[in-house]
Amino acid sequence: MTNDFTPTWEDVAQRYGRKIYNFAYRLTGNPDDAADLVQEVLLRVRKGLDSYQPGSFEGWLWRITRNAFLDGIRRKQRRPESALPEGDHHSLGSSPSPDEVLASVRLSDDVQSSLLKLSYDYREAVVLCDVVGLTYDEIAEATDVPVGTVRSRIHRGRKQLRELLTWPV
Amino acid sequence: MARLVPDSDARGELFSAYLDGQLTPEELEIVSELLDGDIQAIEEFRSLQRTRVSLRLLPEFEVPANLLPDGHLGDRLSAYLDGELVTMEHRRVTRHVVDCSDCRIELQELDRARIAIRSLPGVETTMTGEIPVVAQRPQQNHRGRLVAGGIGVAAAAAFMVGLVVGGGDQPAFSLDDLSTRHVARASAEPGFSVLPVSMEVALP
Repeated sequence: MTNDFTPTWEDVAQRYGRKIYNFAYRLTGNPDDAADLVQEVLLRVRKGLDSYQPGSFEGWLWRITRNAFLDGIRRKQRRPESALPEGDHHSLGSSPSPDEVLASVRLSDDVQSSLLKLSYDYREAVVLCDVVGLTYDEIAEATDVPVGTVRSRIHRGRKQLRELLTWPV
Repeated sequence: MARLVPDSDARGELFSAYLDGQLTPEELEIVSELLDGDIQAIEEFRSLQRTRVSLRLLPEFEVPANLLPDGHLGDRLSAYLDGELVTMEHRRVTRHVVDCSDCRIELQELDRARIAIRSLPGVETTMTGEIPVVAQRPQQNHRGRLVAGGIGVAAAAAFMVGLVVGGGDQPAFSLDDLSTRHVARASAEPGFSVLPVSMEVALP
């Protein structure tokens, strides 16, 4: 998206809704949390677009997304619900969509459950890079850390993931 | 001058950034040297590469449909017809309508309903609120237009039902035509009708 272009809320929803959903899904492994995040982010975007200053739209959007995600985690920590075990949550909650069924092949389950075992900083960096497809600069802007830190987190995240995966890599 | 050999962690970080295309030219040279014949380095690189591929091949989920707008223009179509959209928004809507047949049909129906509403005879009210006289045109009196609008909503609803039920032989519709008419309208009195009455209110 060009730097001097301010999209409408509908544009953002159509263009980024799926990415935001997948970002949250891969960080939490939980479709309900992912859906909550999409709603919360779109709400914040709708409110924030009036005061948005044309610039790096991606950086702005992913900062909002990340903050909304972390706020959600903090809220849950204050009001703990029955904790779900880490790993595959496909069998819980709402009935699986065809995509979710497709995703339940062993390989992606293994990657997903390994992702959930990474520390948050590493998991976030890896998901933003490999799932969302942001550059290191964009991740640095969204997470408010230097590019060198992003690079290191991505590497360490991948390295840990490689060690966690049960199939040979 | 011989380069410093990076330790295992730094080497892995270079490989990882190399896979993402995020190395400086100098770092790129170091990676090329590391991968030149060092079996252990090559194995480490390949293992990292497979891990990265497995992440990137994770299936992408569809967002539940209820979370997103349907992609159509909704109430912006009416604002478009009324010339209430600012330039950028107007262009965006025009672009969308050109590509989206659903919105084009909705715009056409809204335009017909709007024309039908605007060609309804106006109603003058008395001080007591009675409606004794039917005026010829609504645009001379703002209050009269508001009353006519209220009645028009009901008429438009009936009209829209007629369009849906009747279907079939509606007059051809083009955005160019619409644009020309609205430019003309903008320079005329509010409520001014450009098309022949028979076409504006042509019920099926």
